[in-house]
Amino acid sequence: MPQLVTVRVNRPDRRPIRTWVPVFPIMLVLSPVVVLAALAAAVACLVYRVSVMRALGTGWRIVSALPGTRFDIEHGRTGVLVAIR
Amino acid sequence: MNEQRTDILGMLAEGKITAKEAERLIAALERDQPPAASSPDARPKGKAKYLRLMVDTLDETGEPGRINVRVPLQLLRAGVQLAALIPPQALDRANAKLNDSGVPFDLTRLKPEQLQALVEHLDEMTLEVDQPDAKVRVFCE
Repeated sequence: MPQLVTVRVNRPDRRPIRTWVPVFPIMLVLSPVVVLAALAAAVACLVYRVSVMRALGTGWRIVSALPGTRFDIEHGRTGVLVAIR
Repeated sequence: MNEQRTDILGMLAEGKITAKEAERLIAALERDQPPAASSPDARPKGKAKYLRLMVDTLDETGEPGRINVRVPLQLLRAGVQLAALIPPQALDRANAKLNDSGVPFDLTRLKPEQLQALVEHLDEMTLEVDQPDAKVRVFCE
């Protein structure tokens, strides 16, 4: 399960923006939305005749595998970094 | 390190040190050996955890660009399981679109096990493209 997402944005002639997003507290705050999204996903699975449990399991496996993911893109003095820990 | 090992063996041959001392020195050398650098050639086979994509470019103005992406192989394995969740009607539509685009590929014949096997063997893959203005490397580490 991801714990921290680091986002860094470098822009020319401006101060770089660096943000740390703690995933668990954010998920707690957004939990009503997450529950609604899960329900919507379950309904979509039923409509398209896909196993709800299998879909939820796969979704959870994907979320659990996210730590270690890192995207670092730079062009000249502009750059974006997204790292999931 | 090979040079130091040769020196130790040379001292042993000259009788300056005993076999036991030589053994101890070689063991100390091996202990002090720095960990292997992160390169596709240096890592042990079958231990890869991440898929790396590294792109270095130089645009027309001479400004350098760099893309460095690291994706856990576990994420690819989990993503492959999504293939099993795609509804058959979506696969049929994707097949029709692929056919229209000149790619006669039947996605319904692609099984999750085959994709899983593909991901499992990714760590043996290294892709390198060298151009005067761009360098691309895809490998597992």
